[in-house]
Amino acid sequence: MTGVWALVGALAVAGALAVLLKVREGRISRRPAAVDLPAPVRDLLAPGVTLVQLSTTFCAPCRHAKVILRDLADRTDGLTHAELDITNLPDVAASLGVMRTPTTLALTADGTEVLRVGGVPKRDSLLEALRPHLP
Amino acid sequence: MLKDSPVDPRGPRFSAWMTTVILAIVLLTGWWRLLAAQTVLFAMCAFISLKLNPWGHVYRYAIQPRLTPTTEREEAAPLRFAQGVGFVFALIGTLGYATGLTTLGMVATGFALVAALLNAALGLCLGCEMYLVLRRYVPALARPQ
Repeated sequence: MTGVWALVGALAVAGALAVLLKVREGRISRRPAAVDLPAPVRDLLAPGVTLVQLSTTFCAPCRHAKVILRDLADRTDGLTHAELDITNLPDVAASLGVMRTPTTLALTADGTEVLRVGGVPKRDSLLEALRPHLP
Repeated sequence: MLKDSPVDPRGPRFSAWMTTVILAIVLLTGWWRLLAAQTVLFAMCAFISLKLNPWGHVYRYAIQPRLTPTTEREEAAPLRFAQGVGFVFALIGTLGYATGLTTLGMVATGFALVAALLNAALGLCLGCEMYLVLRRYVPALARPQ
């Protein structure tokens, strides 16, 4: 009988996690405190706004994020997309407070973080949020 | 360790459904030998090759021919990593059941089932997304440059 309850519990946890992850997927957030950007990220900055996508070798959705962000950058003036593989750069992840991949940081040319997106971004809402920072 | 080529993403989803069913049977019956077999399967896929997964062969010969062909491909590295995470939980579960620590067995099997179900239903690889967190606490995951 305990096994039945264990199964019910596991199914409930899976359901709750599925809802939580769906809600958080593509959510845009803004971090109040500025951080010193690690060199590998700073090296990617271009004029205008750069979308720095942090990925790892083990990240299946990173590919989908890349397709969306690259297309968005190609069609938008002043927006650049760059991908950084942090599989072997855990210090970069830690210093930026990044816990999952893909995470995308929108950074201005001077390194100021405008916003960040956890998971695969939603194209329209991301563009809307970036508008005030684009030329 | 062999290097696998990218795969049709529907294959791993089918495989994840089968894993979910196996883990559910283990939870319901406490049949630890079945969990031990699943642990070996996880290990073969994670550490040798995804080609050793029998569910992959079932998918290729019995299911794929009935589906519309797709050009979409999924990289093997995240899939192998997910199998490795499954292996750790299944191993703890097997040891728990086999040594009489049934609660430990159930909890570990439950975690593996949650991950397999999320993978099957949503295509979401919990272990892969949490790689950065896992690596922070398990430095052995670091790959040679």
